Amino acid sequence: MAQAQSQHGQTLVGAGVVLLALGLAAGAVSIPSDAGYAGVGPNFLPWLVASALLVCGAFLVFEARTGGFREMDDETFDGPPYWSGFVWMSTGMLVNAALITTLGFILSCTLCFVLAARGLRNSQGKTTPGLRPWLTDLGVGVLIAAPVYWLFTKFLAINLPGLTHSGWL
Amino acid sequence: MMDIWSQLLQGFATAGTPVNLLWAFVGCALGTAVGVLPGIGPATAVAMLLPITAQVEATASMIFFAGIYYGAMYGGSTTSILLNTPGETASMVTAMEGNKMAKSGRAGAALATAAIGSFVAGTFATIFVTLFAPIVAEYAVKLGPPEYFCLMLLAFTTVSAVLGQSTVRGLTALFVGLALGLIGMDQITGQARYTGNVPELIDGVEIVLVAVGLFAVAEALHAVLFEGRLVESENKMSRVSMTVSDWRRSIPAWLRGTAIGAPFGCIPAGGTEIPTFLSYAAEKKLAKGSNKAEFGNKGAIEGVAGPEAANNATVTTALIPLLTLGIPVSNTTAILMGAFQNYGIQPGPQLFTSSSALVWALIASLYIGNVMLLVLNLPLVGFWVKLLRVPKPQLYAGILIFATVGAYGMRQSAFDLFLLYAIGILGLVMRRFNFPTAPVVVGMILGPLAEAQLRNAISIGEGSAWVFLQRPMSLTLLLIVASVLVVPHFLKRRQVTQV
Repeated sequence: MAQAQSQHGQTLVGAGVVLLALGLAAGAVSIPSDAGYAGVGPNFLPWLVASALLVCGAFLVFEARTGGFREMDDETFDGPPYWSGFVWMSTGMLVNAALITTLGFILSCTLCFVLAARGLRNSQGKTTPGLRPWLTDLGVGVLIAAPVYWLFTKFLAINLPGLTHSGWL
Repeated sequence: MMDIWSQLLQGFATAGTPVNLLWAFVGCALGTAVGVLPGIGPATAVAMLLPITAQVEATASMIFFAGIYYGAMYGGSTTSILLNTPGETASMVTAMEGNKMAKSGRAGAALATAAIGSFVAGTFATIFVTLFAPIVAEYAVKLGPPEYFCLMLLAFTTVSAVLGQSTVRGLTALFVGLALGLIGMDQITGQARYTGNVPELIDGVEIVLVAVGLFAVAEALHAVLFEGRLVESENKMSRVSMTVSDWRRSIPAWLRGTAIGAPFGCIPAGGTEIPTFLSYAAEKKLAKGSNKAEFGNKGAIEGVAGPEAANNATVTTALIPLLTLGIPVSNTTAILMGAFQNYGIQPGPQLFTSSSALVWALIASLYIGNVMLLVLNLPLVGFWVKLLRVPKPQLYAGILIFATVGAYGMRQSAFDLFLLYAIGILGLVMRRFNFPTAPVVVGMILGPLAEAQLRNAISIGEGSAWVFLQRPMSLTLLLIVASVLVVPHFLKRRQVTQV
């Protein structure tokens, strides 16, 4: 069963590469071929990459359909994927991307930290109920995000978004 | 010769200022820490810190990054000896014997031989860099665009087709990297490619984003999806010291490891897998009597000393192709090249003349850093070992904060954070299906340069590709590329038929 499933996944990966190749080719159509003195124009490499990926993708699909990808490492982590943890972490990252300019670096990153840590805790199956782990993560998140923010904005003068213009929050 | 000596002294003078020494020290300490911590390696650490290139002066930040680069090699062996989890490929060989030694109560001796061996190999390899890099640079100045293009082709071939297990997956990764490199303005004509009218994409995709996404974010996503139930066990520490017999067995192994590793770094073939495995095989073959019986059993000290030295020698001499030819062959050297580019410096043969102060300060800092790392890793090893106990949820969630700094700090654009997540997903899929990541990063950073060299070469040939075959050097390189592609398959087939 696991074998069949992984072959299914491998076919999808191969198909994804083929799709990427077709997308690149579609984009290459609109790039002018004017080569000037150079002999090859700005559309040469796009076409080359698109064709090469098409060949690679087709070959990957072929391998997947005929016994699976060749010469794979033994998978050390072969349990079923823990999707709910993945959702926690993904939410954390996407919320961070969406809110960083409004909430500022410290708060937005702390939020990302709390959500990602929650997913990881759950994946280990060690979550204790109640508020305590939430508060711990919140505290640790602030303790990482705030000094990083100050280090970068105050010491290295790199612009990171803040909630206020003080440079402290 | 005298010239090299005086320039090296000048380099020591630059690297030895208190501020630069501090940068080197912070780099080495940070490098050791990221080496010890699972889930984050030198490439990721340097990539996340690339935004500092906007503010920190070039010499200081290159010294800092170099410290992280080889500091991580020292730290990596600590993890592979003490932790029973599969580490990165560079320390995989060290783990084979190191773990066995640690299980039979000799963790301290294994850590000591790894640290001292790294120091010996690192120092010898730095001498090698000092002596040979200027010579290679002098020669490389004479190479024209056709030769350069062929060299890059060689780097692409070795990094994608030869080093990984599967040629087709390596090539797929390479072309994905080249495709990422295509996004943005074409260097020669200024033509926008694959920007899809998104203004953020006109400048192209930042290498930081790709590196941090492929390594850090993908690693965190992989951890939450698959590694939750993983039970880790830690080997017991013992006193970090070596007996007389340990020394007697380690010294020749260090020297042999260095001799095996150093040449591998110089050729654009990248990777530490081959030299470390070769060194391991050599030590096993040369061992006699009761020492030989320890291999794979109680753990033989030669099996740690040799590969660890080979690893560090390769990593150090890998700076030669980077500095003299501008050709990176590993993830980390590719990111270092990105750091140079942020300063508007193009690594290559001119580097030794145009930025000689910077280069020599960097080389001098390698000597200084190796001494610092020996001190950091021998008496202070107990401190680093504590890092192994950082709980995984906080570790990976914290890595995501640093990933945000790296990705956002480069261009101050929230769009990049969405892109970071997308690249993280790509990295997760690649990891799951066993695609190598180095070809993506190398392809992305070298692709645009190779394209420019190709066009220049064909202009030289007045529009004809025959130019590659008419010049002896580029023809030779093309033949090497062809043989690198064909010979391994041939050997494999012969092996199969013989068995």
